Formats: sequence, C-alpha cells, structure tokens
Amino acid sequence: MSVSTATFAANQPFPMLTIIVVLPALGALVVALVANRRTETARQIAILTTVATAAFAAFVLVAFHGDDTGFQFVTRQTWIDDLGISWALGVDGISLFLVVMTAIIFPISLLAAKPGHDDKAYYAWILILQSGCMGVFLALDLFVFFVFFELVLVPMYFLIGKWGHGDRIHAAMKFFLYTMFGSAFMLVGILATVLLNAKGTGGAITFDLVELAQNQAIATETARWLFLSFAIAFAVKVPMFPVHTWLPDAHTEAPTAGSVILAAVMLKLGTYGFIRFGLFLFPEAAVYFAPLFLTLGVVGIIYGAIVATVQRDLKRLVAYSSIAHLGFIILGIFALNTQGIEGGILQMVNHGVSTGALFILVGWIYERRHTRQIAELKGLQKVAPIFAAAFTLVMLSSIGVPGLNGFVGEFLVLIGAFASARWWAVVAAAGVILAAVYLLWAYQRVFHGTPDDDNADFPELRWHEGLVLLPLIGLIVFMGVYPKPVIERIEPAVVALIDHMEAEVPGFAENGGPTAPEGVELRDVRADDGHATDEEADH
Amino acid sequence: MIAAGLSNLGVLAQIAEFTPLDTPEVQWAALLPLLILAGGGVVLLTVSSLVKAMAAPGVNAAATVLVGLASIIACVPVWQRVQDPERGPFTAVGGVIGIDGFSILATGLIAASVILAALLLDDYLRREDIDGVEMYALLLLSASGGVIMASANDLIVMFLGLEALSIAIYVMAAMHRRRIESQEAGFKYFIVGAFSSAFFLYGIAMVYGATGSTNLVEIATFLANNLLLRNGVLMLGMALLLVGFGFKVSAVPFQGWTPDVYQGAPTPVTAFMASAVKVAAFAGLIRVFYLALGTYSLDWKPAIYALAVLSMIIGATFAVVQTDVKRMMAYSSISHAGFVLVAVQAGTEKGVTAAIFYLTSYVFMVAGSFGVISLVGRRGDAAHSLDDYRGLSRSRPGLALAFTVFLLAQAGVPLTSGFVAKFNVIAAAVDARSFWLALIAMLASVIAAVLYLKIIVAMYLTGDDAEADDSVAGPKVSIPLPAAAAIGIAIVATLAIGVLPGYLFEVAGDAVPVLIALP
Amino acid sequence: MLLTNFLMLSSILFCIGVYGVLARRNAVMVLMSIELILNAVNINLVAFGTIHGSISGHVFALFIIAVAAAEVGVGLAMVLLIYRNRSSIDLDDVDLLKG
Repeated sequence: MSVSTATFAANQPFPMLTIIVVLPALGALVVALVANRRTETARQIAILTTVATAAFAAFVLVAFHGDDTGFQFVTRQTWIDDLGISWALGVDGISLFLVVMTAIIFPISLLAAKPGHDDKAYYAWILILQSGCMGVFLALDLFVFFVFFELVLVPMYFLIGKWGHGDRIHAAMKFFLYTMFGSAFMLVGILATVLLNAKGTGGAITFDLVELAQNQAIATETARWLFLSFAIAFAVKVPMFPVHTWLPDAHTEAPTAGSVILAAVMLKLGTYGFIRFGLFLFPEAAVYFAPLFLTLGVVGIIYGAIVATVQRDLKRLVAYSSIAHLGFIILGIFALNTQGIEGGILQMVNHGVSTGALFILVGWIYERRHTRQIAELKGLQKVAPIFAAAFTLVMLSSIGVPGLNGFVGEFLVLIGAFASARWWAVVAAAGVILAAVYLLWAYQRVFHGTPDDDNADFPELRWHEGLVLLPLIGLIVFMGVYPKPVIERIEPAVVALIDHMEAEVPGFAENGGPTAPEGVELRDVRADDGHATDEEADH
Repeated sequence: MIAAGLSNLGVLAQIAEFTPLDTPEVQWAALLPLLILAGGGVVLLTVSSLVKAMAAPGVNAAATVLVGLASIIACVPVWQRVQDPERGPFTAVGGVIGIDGFSILATGLIAASVILAALLLDDYLRREDIDGVEMYALLLLSASGGVIMASANDLIVMFLGLEALSIAIYVMAAMHRRRIESQEAGFKYFIVGAFSSAFFLYGIAMVYGATGSTNLVEIATFLANNLLLRNGVLMLGMALLLVGFGFKVSAVPFQGWTPDVYQGAPTPVTAFMASAVKVAAFAGLIRVFYLALGTYSLDWKPAIYALAVLSMIIGATFAVVQTDVKRMMAYSSISHAGFVLVAVQAGTEKGVTAAIFYLTSYVFMVAGSFGVISLVGRRGDAAHSLDDYRGLSRSRPGLALAFTVFLLAQAGVPLTSGFVAKFNVIAAAVDARSFWLALIAMLASVIAAVLYLKIIVAMYLTGDDAEADDSVAGPKVSIPLPAAAAIGIAIVATLAIGVLPGYLFEVAGDAVPVLIALP
Repeated sequence: MLLTNFLMLSSILFCIGVYGVLARRNAVMVLMSIELILNAVNINLVAFGTIHGSISGHVFALFIIAVAAAEVGVGLAMVLLIYRNRSSIDLDDVDLLKG
C-alpha cells in the first residue's frame, strides 16, 4: 500500500518540472523569431535550449530521492477548475530515467544531423516535440497527459513530411492517422474513467492520476473495457504487432533526427503509458488481459526479428528490430512482477540509447553514400575502421551482449517473465538469438569483404561525429557494467506499483498463480548490486 | 347609411374606450443587442443612400464593425443582470423572447460573426467590384434574425427570426453579380431554405395542434402535465421540426445543398453562413427540443443520434475526396454539425453547455478558415482548388501558419479551441452513457483529420524530394489589413480558448437555456 | 366540422407540394409548390386554432402569408437573374456547382 501513503513532496518553490516541459517550447518561440537567413543562429539557440533542458533534467536526477516511492518535484496548478483539471507534474522512479534519456537524446539528435532546408522551422518543431515528450512523461493528470500525447503528433508529422526522404508525405500521414486513431479510443476511455469514478465515489470530478488509481471506484467489468480503450492507444504508439505497420514507413522516411527521436523517445510514450496508466489505473484488468499482451509482445519479438532478417534497407532493418525490442518491453511489463517491470523500464532506456545510436550511424552512412541498401554497401570496415567499431559496439548492445546495457534489461525481463509466464519467456528467449542473427548478418554484409569502387572512399568517422556518439556509447557501457544506480532508483516505484496491484486485485500475488515456476527463488535485486543479476543466471 | 356608419363609429369608440389595446410591456434594455443590430442595418442603409461620404472605401465596413461591437457591449449588462442570482433570466415582449445566458451568448457570437464577416467583406467587395452598402445592411439584418431565432420563446417568433435570417442570406449568397456560381448558390440555397422552412412550419402547426400553443413555455407545461394517449400528431410535428432544423444546421441527410452553396457563395458570406447561421439554427434547435420538448426526449434522442452519426461520418468521408477547398470545408462543417448534435443528443445541461462551447470555438475556427480561403481565392474568388494552395508556406508563411492553426483546431489538436470543444462534447456524451456515440465521434474526427492534413500537405509539403520544395513559388496573395485583423482575432480566440479554456467553461456553464413564463 | 377533414386536405396539399419541389424542373413551378406547402400549413393552423379556440393559430397564418410574399419576392428576383444569364429557368441547367 505504499502508493496510497505516497508522500507528495510539498510544492517546490521552484517549478523544476514545469521548466523542463516549457523551456523547449519557449526555445521554439525564440527560434521562430530568428530571421530566416540566420540558420546557424537558429541551430545554436535550439542546441542551447536542449542542453539547458538537459541540465535541468540532470539536476532532477541528482536531487531525486532514490528510496522515495511517491512522486517528487510535484507541481500542481489548477487549470480548468470546473472539470477538476490541474497542471500536475511529478517524477518517480518509473519516469525519471525516461526524462533523463529524453533530455540526452534531443541535443544529440540535433547535433547528429542538419535539416538541409527550412532550418528554422525544423528546429522549432524539434523543440516543440521535446516539450510534448517531456509533458507526457511528467504528467500526473489525465487531461494533461492526453494533451501532450496528442500534441507530439504535429511536430513529428511535419518533421517526417517536410524533411524526410522518399514517400515521406504518405509515411507522415500514416503515422498521424494511426496514432490519432488510437487516441480516439483513449479520449473516450479517459472521460469514461473520470466520470464513472466521480459517480462511483460520489465526489467531484477529478483527472488526478493518483486519486483515480487509489479510488478504484469502477466496476470490474467496466474497468476492463476502459483498460482496453487505453491499451489500443498505447499499442498503436508502441507499436505492438497488429498495429505496427506505420512504424517501418515512418522510421525509414523520417530524417535522421526524426528517426532517432521516434525510436528513442516516442515509442516509449506507449510503453510508459502501459505502466503508468494501464497497470496503475486498472490493475485488475491488467492482470486479466496479461496473457493477451504477453502473447502480442512475444509475437512482436519473433515477427520483428524475422521481418528484420529479410530487409534490404538498413534503416528499415533497424525499424523492424525496434518492433522486436518493444515486444520485449511489453513482455516485461505484463510479466507483472518487479523484475519484469524493472527490466521493461530499463530496456526502454537501453533501446532509446542503442537504437538511437544505430539510427544516427545509419543516417551517417546515408549521408556519405546516399543509399541505405545493404546490397550496395560493402567492406566499410576496411575503409572506416573506427566507424565500424562504433557500429559494432552499438549493434552488440542492441543484440544484448553481456557487459553492455542491452543485456541487463533483457535479462531482467526474461527473469520476470520466466517467473510469471514461463512459456512466453521461453519463446521470447529465441528472439534474442534471432536478434543476433539479423544484426550480425547485416553487419557482415555491410562492413566485411573488400570494398568496391563505390565504397572505397567511404569517409571515416569525423571527430565531431565521434563527440556526438560519445555520450551514447558511454551510457551503453556504463549501464552494462554498473546498472545498480539506475535500478536502485527505479525499484522503489516499481515495488510500490506491484504492492498497489496486490492490494487492489484479489488473488493476485507477485509471482504467484499457477504459472509461477517451482524451485526458482527470486531474490530482491534491490539488495544486490548490478553484477548480482549475472549470478542469478546460475539458478 | 350615414347613420349606420356613425353608429358603427360609435361602437368602435366604445370598444376603444372600454377595452384599451393590451400591448405587452417591452424591456427595451434587454432587447438592446438585437435592436442595435436591426436598427444598425436599417440606419446604415438609409444614411448610406443619403450621405455621399459613406461611399468612401471602408466606411460601411467600419460602421458595421462598430454596430457589431456595440451589440456585444450591450450584451454585457444584460448578461450581468441574468447572472445576478436575485434577478435571473426573464422574458421580454409578452413572453415571446427569452433572455437567458444561452440567448445572450448566442447573440454575442452572432455579433462576433458579423464583425469578422464585415472585416473580410471590406476588401473582398472592392476587389470584386461590387462594393456598396447592401451587403453590410443585409449582414446586420440577417444577424438580427439570427438573434431573434436564438432567443425566441415562441414558435411564431422563432419562425420570423428564421426567415429574417434566411431571406437576407439568400440575397447575400447571390450577391456576386458577375459570378454565375454565386447566383446559382443563392438560388439553390433559396429553394432548399424555403422548402425546409415549409417543413419547419408544418411541424410547428402539428405541435400547435397537439399542445394548443405556440409558446415554448406553454408547450413544455402542457406536455409535462398531460399524458397524450395518442401522440401521433406531436410525433409528426417533432419529426418535421427536426427535418427543418436538420436542413438549417446541414445535418445528413439534409446536407445536400451545403457544398454547393458554400462553394458558390462569396467566401466572406460563406464564413458568415458557416458561423452565424449554425449558431442561430442550433440555438433554435436546443430551445425547441431541449426546453420545450424535453419531456419527450426519449423520442427525439434516437433521431438526433442517427443524424449525428450520419453527419459526422458522411461529412468527414465526403470531405476527404474533394479537391475544392471550399467544398472540403463545407463537408467538414457538416461533420462539425454532427459533433454539436452529439452534445445535443446527450439531452443534459452538460450537453447544452458542450454544444454552446463547441459553437463558440467553431465560430472563430471557421470564420478564420474562410477568411484565409477568401484571400487565397484572390480576384474572381475562383482559386479554391487544392493546387492553388501549393507552396503557400513559401509565398505567405504567416497566412499558411494561420490556416494551419485553424485546420489543426478543426482536427481537434490539443492547445487549440477545437480540442477542448471536442473534449467537452465527448464528456457530455460519455456522461449521458452514450459510449458508442462518443467513440464514433472520435473515429469520425480521425477521418476528418485526413482532410485537414491534405490541405496542410498542399501548403507545406509539396514535391517528392526536398529540392522540389524550393521550386514551388506559391500563390501571390495580397493580405489587406481588415482581413488580417479578422484572421488575427480568430487566431487569438482559437488559441486562447485552447490554452486557457477555464474562462469560457464558466461562461458556457452559465449560458444554460431556461424557460421563463410571464410573471 | 371535422378536424380530420382539414388535416386530410392539408396533408394532401403538403404532399403535392413536396412532390412538386422534388419532381418539377421549372423554377417557377418549384416556387409555386413551396407556396402550396405553406398554404397547407395555413389550413392546419387555422383549423387547429379554431379547435383550440385560441387566436394564435390565425395570427400565425397571417404571419406566414406575409413572410411567404416576401420570400417569393426574393425567389422570383433570383429566377429572373438566372433567366437573364442563362435564358433558361430549368433547374437541371443550374449545375455549375458539383463535387
């Protein structure tokens, strides 16, 4: 019941989170006021804004109380009084690292690529996009959450449609409509949740997330429908297997920064939504529908991996690998135990870092060779060994090789899933092998062999490109070797969430139920350091 | 003969002596917003024909804007009086005009539409060489008809308001002498309008037959106190009234005229039609159905449900396949009408509040949209195909951005008024347990989004690769100051309502229609 | 005097009017059909007014006659305008607006 006793930090005198959300939008405003010709100024302002935002995020990271289960830095300001809507922001262990990752990814994606034309609008849209993403991760009010969840569509639509490649308008349209389709269900779901809650408790209408979650005033049957209405929106955003078709197009046609942000940040809006709004608001329904989502997650893992194997376009391959990775995250979340959810959250961050880096590298390959076709690339390792080395490291992290970040997340997910959903975990483990197959095979085709004439003068990694990649590579290694500080901060919030579910769902116990494997003793990772997870493999 | 005549006179004198004509007391102060509009129209017409100086460019438009502003200002004291808990809503002119928050807000909205339309008309009329006072006078008279309709407490009065509104607009739509489409639009609108008025009247006659009164208060009281064993006449009357209103708000299946008329009419007039006429028609619809026929809500709700679903889906779907932007907006207005019907269908106070909120947002969105369209149409008012918008973001980035805001608002993107309006409507529907209707509404808005994105694509994203973007020069559009002001007002309203909806929530919450009988 | 008789008469007039609006292609005939519907309404109102013993039905009928006159004035002006431009008042010829 730690959630219900969650201590809200008193209103901070300094609205740190509001600044994190609003600052990029203000930056966008400033960029919009810059003269059209002064593209460099616009770029500098944009980068400065994202770096400043990152600094604020870093402050939150440092000042965050690791052992506190509730929301911290809470800001609460009445927005629409009549409807009980307030501008409520807060951060807890679940959202903390997503915020930090968002703050890191944006400046990097700005540094990694230039738009080529209409610079001013490009930077303005990216900054607005950052505001939107931060807003989604920090919102504690369903209305605020939905506003930002919808708002991120517009800048991304323009980024893909105006600065993308190939059939970009079609891809942008598809992206916009798919997501809007999902949100349509969620808006009805949000309103039904809020109004039925008000009827159930007899109290005033409130959009406050924590209050709604604690009341649980909605009949079980109805709550299941409401859960599904949220789930459709999140499933499209993730994207999960049957509604994933917008993703390969959007990823492939988007400009590099767009792909990076899309993969690293925007896909997480869906998985984050599942944890924050699915599990927290509708614990019973989450337990009830867990098998469905486990299955869809596993199908996503296998499907994504198989389809990625046969791709000819390098960027499309990475896009499909995202579907597989997101399948892992879903698997972890719906394992519905501490390890699984922790692994899921960790994997969200890991996927953001490593797939973001992969998209940057693929973007650079395209910049140099003007093609992404695997068949047209050959022997790059010979001409650009450092580039190849960076690619190798990032790719290994994506595969989930021990010692790099991908491993820790995937491993936790598999442990969690094995405890509560053994057979799904077994199938998912095969996905890890498949990931190795398609990535290594692609690597072999692109980097090995002797370079032909077209590839012979492939430029080596430039120093400023290296600097852009450095933070990401640092994170990949750091989180692979020493994930303890991260896990430590995630854990209390996840434990609180599981406690909340155990309290609200009769008969639900973490790792209980018929699927719990006998003889597997799960220890609390909190007590161990990061390396301890490796030891658990011995069980 | 003479004697007989004298005796007759004597009788008349006697009658006059013993029964003085019982004229109702008129609350002039409460009618001021209406009187300003109507009187303004007449005075403008008279003065303009007598005084030469009025022919100077811009004078008529400025006068119309001032009249509209005066009308809005006159609304303020009336609003305060109505909101004063000790005084509250009341009736004027012998109980046939209802002065409540709802009618005052509708009056304000119609006056705002007048201002926006006048600002758009100013340059348009000169550009098209049809400058003159007639359009402004008709605009004001039509608006006064709309106000009468929105505050009518009696079906006779509502009919008179409807006709005053409509007849003026038939003429306005056909006003463009050299544009043959304009005459065609006016005539089509006239035929359909007269036809629908006839249905409306037949419906009134039936309701009158069933209840014995045309006064909304008396109808409501009669229906509340009497159980009609054979209510066929009433049902027929309700159905015909709904058909009449359906034509006016352009709900499917009574929407056939809308695209033609919207496309053919002079664009500023279309802006007025889409904003003021919708407000007035919905206000009338809500007064009649929600207030007077509220007892029979179980009977009319399913019909409105069906109209709402059809309007939203068909409006959105047909809009997507159009290539003429004015037609697109016409179909999208049908879809929006469906949304308002969703709110009306709830049949609750929340629903009515949501409807008036939606209409408030819509007035500015749609007037702004047609404002941009009117400018892009340029001389001849003909450049309305999607191709005419290619590259607008290059030649006129400000105008393109403004149109984008209006389109995103219509699509219901957050931080614009359109989102809050939709949110409100869906909340009302969910609150009335119409979950499926709410869901259909949201899905229809996804279909409609394709349409708005198509226009945005044309303005911003052209060609297949980045280089091609630069080669599109974009249309050379001149932006006169008054039109820019109108678009600016609409933008500010759209964003202000979107970011800080709290204030409008309060106003709309106070703008609940009530029936007040004569004391 | 049976109310039903009047209602029957008016509904027949109404149906003829609606048929005329929908089926006739001549603009003037369409205008006349609309007048027919309005007169059907008038019959109804007067009949109901007499039955209910209230004056408002009769008054309403007078209003309708006045408004109908105004309406038809505008309508005929438009027909004239179209005739001058097209030399035809056939509604099928009025077909510039399509989508």
